[in-house]
Amino acid sequence: MKVKPVNHAKAAEAFIEDTAHMDFHDERLWDLRQKRDDQMHILPEWQELRARASAIKEHTLANLPEYLEQFEANAKKNGIHVHWAADGAEHNRIVGEILEKHGAKSLIKSKSMVTEECCMREYLEPRGVVVTETDLGERIQQLDNQMPSHIVVPAVHKLIPDVAKIFAEHYHTDPNDNSAQSLAWQQRLAARPVILSADAGMTGGNFVVAETGSFVVCTNEGNADLSATVPGLHIATIGIERLVPRMADMGVFIRMLSRSALGSPITQYTTHFRGPQKGSEMHVVLVDNGRSHRLGMEEFWTSLKCIRCGACMNTCPVYRRSGGLSYGAVYSGPIGAIIDPTFNERKYSTLPFASTMNGSCTNVCPVKINIHEQLYKWRRVLAEHHELPFVKREVMYMAGKLMGQPSLYRAAINGTEVALSTMPRFVLYNWLNPWGKHRELPHPVKQTFHGWYKQNRLKTKKKEGEGA
Amino acid sequence: MSTSRDAILTRLRDNRPDPKAHPLPPVARLGDMDNGQARFENSLQLLGGQVLERQEGDTLATAIARRFPDSKIICSAVPDFDGTIRIEELGTPQQAASVDVLVVRSPFGIAEMGSIYLSEAQLKDLNSAAHLTQHIVVILSAKNLTANMHTAYMDRPEFHTANYGVLMSGPSATADIQGVLVRGAQGVRTLSVWWED
Repeated sequence: MKVKPVNHAKAAEAFIEDTAHMDFHDERLWDLRQKRDDQMHILPEWQELRARASAIKEHTLANLPEYLEQFEANAKKNGIHVHWAADGAEHNRIVGEILEKHGAKSLIKSKSMVTEECCMREYLEPRGVVVTETDLGERIQQLDNQMPSHIVVPAVHKLIPDVAKIFAEHYHTDPNDNSAQSLAWQQRLAARPVILSADAGMTGGNFVVAETGSFVVCTNEGNADLSATVPGLHIATIGIERLVPRMADMGVFIRMLSRSALGSPITQYTTHFRGPQKGSEMHVVLVDNGRSHRLGMEEFWTSLKCIRCGACMNTCPVYRRSGGLSYGAVYSGPIGAIIDPTFNERKYSTLPFASTMNGSCTNVCPVKINIHEQLYKWRRVLAEHHELPFVKREVMYMAGKLMGQPSLYRAAINGTEVALSTMPRFVLYNWLNPWGKHRELPHPVKQTFHGWYKQNRLKTKKKEGEGA
Repeated sequence: MSTSRDAILTRLRDNRPDPKAHPLPPVARLGDMDNGQARFENSLQLLGGQVLERQEGDTLATAIARRFPDSKIICSAVPDFDGTIRIEELGTPQQAASVDVLVVRSPFGIAEMGSIYLSEAQLKDLNSAAHLTQHIVVILSAKNLTANMHTAYMDRPEFHTANYGVLMSGPSATADIQGVLVRGAQGVRTLSVWWED
């Protein structure tokens, strides 16, 4: 059976109906966008930083095999075990084997989008490994059995009472706790003993430095550093696109990452791992999972420049009002809409349409990915590959026919006046017209411009012609 | 040799854009080059860190006693301050989890961010101690401030030598519950800087 496309519009509709949640979500993310702007205005060199970040990333991607080999050689010299995973299944197998070798039954981890991509928890848990997310937002999502809804703030779609209810169920705390401070404290109390008794720790990696064989992790809660330093075994799962050539390049990226993401100058923790701690073991799993394929897509390879700041999500009016979960994918928002179809073209065929094409995502991107242009290009590719939903395909086919023939178009436009003023609502507002779901159709005009022109100017011209 | 490794590298070589069309830009020093103490303190406070108050006649010990009156276990990672226990005596993360205040010296700070740097050299190979302690007091010299992230990464040798190197910018924090900023998440609840000159 063919996989069904994600019904983004329907999921978004459910999100919109809950006004309290949607309003908070919208305002919270817009607030992050404004804080990002404040930071940008402080730095006169902001545009130069973007240009440099983009150029460094494009150079690295064009030379990725060499930089990966350089990283591997240096990391090995530093005492790191380096593994390569072609896909999610291989990644999970590698991690499972490392844990098994150490007899590790409990794994504490910080947030990593790659492990979400690989569905690692779902693989490890039936094999007897208890996986505990230590990032607060990610832990809330784990307990609630949901995917992260945002790549930086995973539980941003939830309100305090939602969290209080989840914690009451799992941590036996007060279900009416109405304080974010007190709930965060409960997470600290619940996490400490799990962290102190864990057999292994896992982190992601925001940047990988080829020159030094190290990787850099940027976090705020301190949970990644705890996960990496408390147990005697540290596994880092990292996408192969995360490389930068030189340690000196890191300045460009660190100066923009948290400013773009949260509007804070830097994350509270910026941690550089170059080798194992004394008496410990360190593993890096380099994950491809479609990235090497994406590098060959002429119109889409620059999406690999992404540093996962989430600025495009915070600014996107569609994302802000539909919620990350409505995308039905690991990556949501504008960046998700251009990355997800590379994983499964049919399943994520609806996502490039979840955009108003306002271009705001492109404007805020710290590495200058032309996100809105790629959204447009994906629409064309999906149309060519016949992955458009039936209604959209048929309507676009008819629109193409109409617009290609002026006489047909004019007849149709004249007809809309009659249609809009005479047709009953159930004909105009039905499943064939998703546009009309939350909007009123425009008032029909008495006369089209072409009709008016034909009646007035064309007649005058003819008269003038006749008189000559 | 892993077959996936070779397959990935081969696919990358086949698929990549033309390397000649994407040259590497030279490294640049950009932005404000002020490495002053005032800039550092402003940035530190923006991220929730504090400067440990020094009153007339204060020593580090008296300043800590005033700031953390309820603390029982004060752990020292520096030779010139005693505390109640030395970091070398802790031995394990489980022991480090009982520490109320950790006193450690940072080799440099970054004025742009109010960040302080710590590695296994300062933490005596017990890196987790910096995150398991409730509070951290960081001894820093104004002479060791670098202007911004560019100068830090270009001039500080630690990024090329330490196995574990963390830039801490204020205490741990989260805003994961309804956007409310909570300082003191899972790592240190407060971070204070003690100027040593």
